[in-house]
Amino acid sequence: MKEMKSIKRAVSIAVVMAVLVLTFAGCQSKKEEKGGSEAAGDMKVAFVCNGTLGDKSFFDSAAEGIYRMEKELGVEIKIIEAGFDKTKWQPALEDTSDSDYDVIIVGTWEMQEPLEAVAPLYPDKKYIIFDTEMDYSSGDYDNVFSISYKYNEESFLAGALAAMVTTSDMPLANGESTIGFIGGIDSPVINDYLVGYVEGAKYVNENIKVVYSYVGDFSNSTKGKEMAMAQFDNNEADIVFAAAGQAGLGAIDAAKESQKYVIGVDGDQALIFEDTDTEKANKILTSAVSNVGNSLFTAVESAVKGELEWGTGVSTGIADGTAELVDNKYYQELVKEEFRDQIVEITEKIKNGEIQVSSAIGMEKDELDKLLDSVQ
Amino acid sequence: MIFDIISSTSFWYAVLRVSTPILFAALAAIVSNKAGVVNIAIEGTMLISSLTGVLFSAWTQSVFIGVSAAVAAGVLTALILAYFSLNLKTDITLTGIALNLFASGGTIFLLYLVTGDKGMSGSLKSLVVPSWDIPVIKNIPVIGEIISGHNLLTYLAFVSVIVVSVLLYRFPIGLRIRAVGEDEGAVASVGLNVTRIQYIALMLSGVLSGLGGAFMSMGYVSWFSKDMIAGRGFIALAAEAMGRGTPVGTMTAAMVFGFADALSNYLQALQISAELVMMIPYITTIIGLFIYSTKKKNNK
Repeated sequence: MKEMKSIKRAVSIAVVMAVLVLTFAGCQSKKEEKGGSEAAGDMKVAFVCNGTLGDKSFFDSAAEGIYRMEKELGVEIKIIEAGFDKTKWQPALEDTSDSDYDVIIVGTWEMQEPLEAVAPLYPDKKYIIFDTEMDYSSGDYDNVFSISYKYNEESFLAGALAAMVTTSDMPLANGESTIGFIGGIDSPVINDYLVGYVEGAKYVNENIKVVYSYVGDFSNSTKGKEMAMAQFDNNEADIVFAAAGQAGLGAIDAAKESQKYVIGVDGDQALIFEDTDTEKANKILTSAVSNVGNSLFTAVESAVKGELEWGTGVSTGIADGTAELVDNKYYQELVKEEFRDQIVEITEKIKNGEIQVSSAIGMEKDELDKLLDSVQ
Repeated sequence: MIFDIISSTSFWYAVLRVSTPILFAALAAIVSNKAGVVNIAIEGTMLISSLTGVLFSAWTQSVFIGVSAAVAAGVLTALILAYFSLNLKTDITLTGIALNLFASGGTIFLLYLVTGDKGMSGSLKSLVVPSWDIPVIKNIPVIGEIISGHNLLTYLAFVSVIVVSVLLYRFPIGLRIRAVGEDEGAVASVGLNVTRIQYIALMLSGVLSGLGGAFMSMGYVSWFSKDMIAGRGFIALAAEAMGRGTPVGTMTAAMVFGFADALSNYLQALQISAELVMMIPYITTIIGLFIYSTKKKNNK
C-alpha cells in the first residue's frame, strides 16, 4: 500500500514536471518557414525576433518584409521567435550564427548589446539590425548594417492630423483643443514618438494641449484602454495616438466605448478589425507607420545584388518614403480632404527640409520637459 | 488636482470597472482558501477562460454560450488542479505554478491554431457581454452615472459577494468547506469526505475565476490578448488576505486596489511623474498588507 502511494507520488511529480517542461518548450516555439531556394544565389536569411509575432504592429510588420523576401527575392527565410525572456536572446542569436544562415536580422535597441557581443565573433556572417543605431566607432562591426527609423517624423504627421481633427467639426470631435498620447514605456524611442507628436500638433495649432501617459509595458492592453478612457473622459481629449505595441490596442477599444478617435501605429491597425468590428475600424482615422518590413526588404534586396554597404547604418524617414500615415479607405472616408491635403503639404515640407523635427534621442531631459510643458 | 479626479463620476465608474476582475478572482480565492486549498492557479484559470469565452462566442455567436464555456473551462482547470493536488498529492503551489505557465503558453498555442495569430484574437468576431442601464437608478444624478451602464458581469461580481457570503455562512456546504479549512481531521472523524468537499470548493473557485476571465475578454476589452490577466489573479490573493477571507472585507480590498489602479491611470494624464504614479497600486498593496498584519497581531 505504501509502495503504491509512493509510486503514485512519483508518477504525479513526473507528470507535473512534464507539464512544466512542455510549457517551457512551448515558450520558445519556433516557426519554420522553408521556401524556394533555387534563385538568389541560395542566400539564407534568418530573423531572430526578440519577442513573438502577433503584436499586429512592430514585429508583424518586420515579418511581412521577411515573407516578401521569400516570395520576391527567392531567398530562404526563417523566423526564430526567441520569446520575451531576455536571457534567451543572446543564446538564440549565437545558435543562429552557428547555423548556416548568411544574413541574420535582429531588431530593437535591446538586441544591440547581444549583437555587439556576437557579430565580431562571426566575421563571415552578415547582420542587419533595425530600429537602433549602431555605434560603429566602438568596435569592429564591418559585417553589420543598421537601420534606424525617424519615428519623430511619422508622429509629427500624426500630431498634425490630431490637432486638425480635435478642433474640427468632425462628428466625434468635442471642440476642445486637447489631444492624447499613450506610450509603452518612458524610453528614448517612445519619447521620440511623443516629441514628434507634440511638435506636429504645435505646428498646426500653437495652443494645443497634449495629455500623455505611459502604460509601463507593451502588453497590458486593458491598462492601455483605461488610460485612453481617462484621457477621453477626464481630460476631454477626443483623439489619442497610441505608441504602445499591443497595449495600444486597448486605446482602440476605448475609442469605440467613448466614441472618440484613435490613430494606430506601426501597422495598419484598422485592418485588424475591418472584418470583425467595423465600428472599431471606423474610429481609427489612420495609422502612423515606419514600414519596417519594407526597409528590411530593401536592405536584403541590395544585399542579394551585392550592393549593400556593410559596416554602415542608415536612418530612414519621410524622405526615404518609409514614414507615413497609412492612406486607407478609413482615412479617405473619415478625414476631410482639406486635412489630407495639409498632411501631404507637411510631408513635402519635411522631405525638403523646410520643417525640421526634433528627436528625443540624445535630447536633454530639460529640453524634453520644456517642450512637454509648453503643451500643458 | 486629485480632488478634481475624485469628484468626477467617470473616475468612480472606472473604479468599479477596474475592480471587477480582481473581485471575481478574490472571491475565487476565498472559497478555495476556506477549504484549506490555496488556489494559486487563479491567474492561469482566468487566462484560459478568457480565451475560451472568445472562441466559443465567436463560433456560436452566442454570448451566453461564450460565458458558459468560459465558466466550464474554469471548472475544468480547477478539476485538473484538484486531481493532481488532492488525488495524486502533488504540492498544490507547484501544481498551481505549472498550470499558470501552461495557461500562458497554451493559450497562445491554441490561439495560433485557431486564428494563425499569436498576439490577440482581433480576427475573430467574438461577442461582448452587454452592459445594462439600470432603470430608475440611471436617472439619479451622480449615483446613476457611476452605478448604471456597467457590463452585466460587473453587477454579477458584486452579486457574487452576497452569493458567496450566503453560501459560506448559511448553507451546509459552506459550513463543511469552512470546517475542512479549520481542521480536516475533525471533518473526517464525523464521516465526511474531505477530498470531495475540497473538490467542490475548487470547482466553485473555478466558476468565479471563469467569470473573471470572461469579463476580461468579453467586457473589459472585446478580444483576447496574450497574458491579458496581467497579474490580477495574484493581486486577488493579496486582496483576499487583506480582506481576511471575508467576502465583504475582500470586496473592500479589491475596490481599494481598483481605486489605486484607476487613480494611477488618471494621475498620469495630469503629468505627475509616471514612475511615481505607477508605484501607487503596489504601495497600496504593501500598506494594505502592513495594516492587515498589525491588526492581526493585535487580535492575538
